[in-house]
Amino acid sequence: MNRRHDFRLPASDFKLPASDAATIEPNIIMSTTLDTSTHAIGHVTQVIGSTFDAEFPEDRIPEIYNAVIVDQQIHGNQFKVTGEIQQHLGGGRVRCVALGNTDGMVRGMEVVDTGAALSVPVGKETLSRVFNVLGEPIDGRGPVHTAEKWPIHRDPPKMENLSSKTEVFVTGIKIIDLLTPFVRGGKAGLFGGAGLGKTVILQELIARIAKEFGGYSVFAGVGERTREGNDLLLEMRETKVSSAADAKAVIDNTVMVFGQMNEPPGARLRVALSALTMAEWFRDATGTDTLLFIDNIFRFSQAGSEVSALLGRMPSAVGYQPTLGTEQGQLQERITSTTGGAITSVQAVYVPADDPTNPAPATAFAHLDAFIYLERSIASRGLYPAIDPLASSSRILDPQYVGERHFRVASRVQQILQRYRELQDIIAIMGVDELSEEGKLVVQRARRIERFFSQPFLVAEAFTGKAGNYTQLEDTIRSFEEIVDGKWDHLPEMSFMYVGPIEEAEAQAKKMQG
Amino acid sequence: MAKARAIVKRLKAIKNIRKITRTMELIATARFKKAMDRASQASAYTKKISEIVADIARTAGGDSDEMSHPLLRAPEATKNATLLVITSNRGLAGGYNGGILRGAIRRMKETREAGATLKLEVAGKRGISYMRFQAESAEKTYTNFDDRPGYDEVERIADRYIEEYISGRLDRLDVAYMKFVSASRQTPVVETLLPIGNLATDQAKPARGRVVDYELLPSAQEILKEIVPAAFKARLFKCFLDAAVSEQIARMVAMKGATENADEIIGNLSQKYNRARQSQITSELAEIIGGAAALE
Repeated sequence: MNRRHDFRLPASDFKLPASDAATIEPNIIMSTTLDTSTHAIGHVTQVIGSTFDAEFPEDRIPEIYNAVIVDQQIHGNQFKVTGEIQQHLGGGRVRCVALGNTDGMVRGMEVVDTGAALSVPVGKETLSRVFNVLGEPIDGRGPVHTAEKWPIHRDPPKMENLSSKTEVFVTGIKIIDLLTPFVRGGKAGLFGGAGLGKTVILQELIARIAKEFGGYSVFAGVGERTREGNDLLLEMRETKVSSAADAKAVIDNTVMVFGQMNEPPGARLRVALSALTMAEWFRDATGTDTLLFIDNIFRFSQAGSEVSALLGRMPSAVGYQPTLGTEQGQLQERITSTTGGAITSVQAVYVPADDPTNPAPATAFAHLDAFIYLERSIASRGLYPAIDPLASSSRILDPQYVGERHFRVASRVQQILQRYRELQDIIAIMGVDELSEEGKLVVQRARRIERFFSQPFLVAEAFTGKAGNYTQLEDTIRSFEEIVDGKWDHLPEMSFMYVGPIEEAEAQAKKMQG
Repeated sequence: MAKARAIVKRLKAIKNIRKITRTMELIATARFKKAMDRASQASAYTKKISEIVADIARTAGGDSDEMSHPLLRAPEATKNATLLVITSNRGLAGGYNGGILRGAIRRMKETREAGATLKLEVAGKRGISYMRFQAESAEKTYTNFDDRPGYDEVERIADRYIEEYISGRLDRLDVAYMKFVSASRQTPVVETLLPIGNLATDQAKPARGRVVDYELLPSAQEILKEIVPAAFKARLFKCFLDAAVSEQIARMVAMKGATENADEIIGNLSQKYNRARQSQITSELAEIIGGAAALE
């Protein structure tokens, strides 16, 4: 509260002429790498957590979203941090969010305006490399030289350039292909609470899609575990695009950008934009289909909320920033397919406390074509992927796009599961014996369908002990059609667990009976 | 508050269900006592009459002519079998009907595999609808047996069976029902009531080697004529009485379980509701305080 009180002090209290700075902090040795004659120079007047205020000459105030750099020696250590202008406070003062750690920042430090928004290297040279939010390589393989650098703040494509074609994107995962088909060039979201396997599904999709897929992929690690990012990197280096001996590794067509949990909120707030900018270059400059994976978009909103109060905005619902929808919209509207090229994006969305009405996931929800909701009660029964077949949906689950038969099978499956869910209370109280014969049949089939939704994953081979399975769309539809028709009622429930097409369930049943 | 509202709605529904199951438990308890009294009284009679049939058979043993009663003669081959399935008219009795019907279906399969034609007779609505669902057509259906099966109703059925058996249209009669062993144990069984031979031998072992000498007047033949059908009828009636008491026990147990389950769900839902409500209040308070603080 005291801090906030400081905000209201007259600007003159902070007037700190550059010459005085040395007298206050004699240990500071001024040094900047940017040419100070063309760039405006200000001074830090206040540091509030991961945001800071700076004062510039009133006639040379940096624009909103401009990147500013603080780069100085302090106590013998080099201190360097990049900030981004968020607000003009009046009287030459600006408020910035730091994209790096502000530990060691001191009032009076020189702040140099770069004159433009933060820009990141784009181009084919970025492939197979790992970057941080600032576009600096962090994989220890030397600098990246690209012909172009693009600013991370860009306008979304114009409406007239948007692509309007709709095509199904087959993943080989039965439940996704049947109930929530992905759109080529569209956006899919994986919603789920803590520990339900969002990251595993995302990695599985990378393993499946990036492998089969000719184009480029960009992976944005936003505020998730650093270890997972490392695992993913190593795996992508090992996985080959095809089975040929001289095949390229998946990483050779991939760019990774990380701003993980350990980084300050500013970095997590902007890392998605850095990654998106790189993906946009692939779309616009090469015209190829590009994949953009974001894990986890919620961390983007969360980072926004962390800095929001520090920037002096009044908190809105559930303590989120009042600009939640705007921020989300500015990011999401850029992830789109144009007539020039497509970005297909898969985003993991953390759902706090398993409550999908929480404003952060709810805001992300509106932007997506396919919506996959992971459910704890399914995960707790050991059925993975723990996708809730009734809460999940897709814009293109419509006969117009997927065909009459696919749509019919999908709705019948949903009907059975819906009925089963309605019966669940009765079963919980009275027991399954009280159901009518039709009810028992519904329960029986629903339980089989639920189990049949589980599938061995490529990336989970170590856990399931089963080889990953890619089920063709045609097999998926046929298998479910036969289950709802009652052709497989005689197989024991357990045999439907972790198999591909229905024939594998039959084989598994035979094996179980010895 | 949307979530809390939905929980309250469910909570109310389950409280209503609990009220019903609790009531049904009490009703079943009351009916069970009466049904059990009848069953245990009948059981003494059935036991005695079976003993007498067995004793007479022994006394008059050897002399086949004198012993001959049509119901005691077993046909050479079983061509026409009838299966009487006794189920309940009402549900909410746990696994009561399921167990009987499973046994009945098994017996039907066995009979058909043995090459006999099978006539199916079903008592109780639950069994009737189950057989209809299984696409098994029932020759006769009865819905008039509840917790107090009447002797004359059973006798009518028994008379028909006797008549069919004697005329050779029926070679075997099986009854699938829930046998009442004790108040804590009932087992679904399929018993063969006709040919009656089983009845004489299975049911009544000679009492501790003590052989009673009977003087049969006017003649064994006369007595058998009366006593064999009576024993069969008593036996069939006992099946219905057993079924009735077992049904009440099954319902009592099922409803007790259901009430307990409902209690558990109510507990869980109340907790969920309280949590949803409290978090709602907390978040609203936090927002108000936060908003007020930001305005300072």
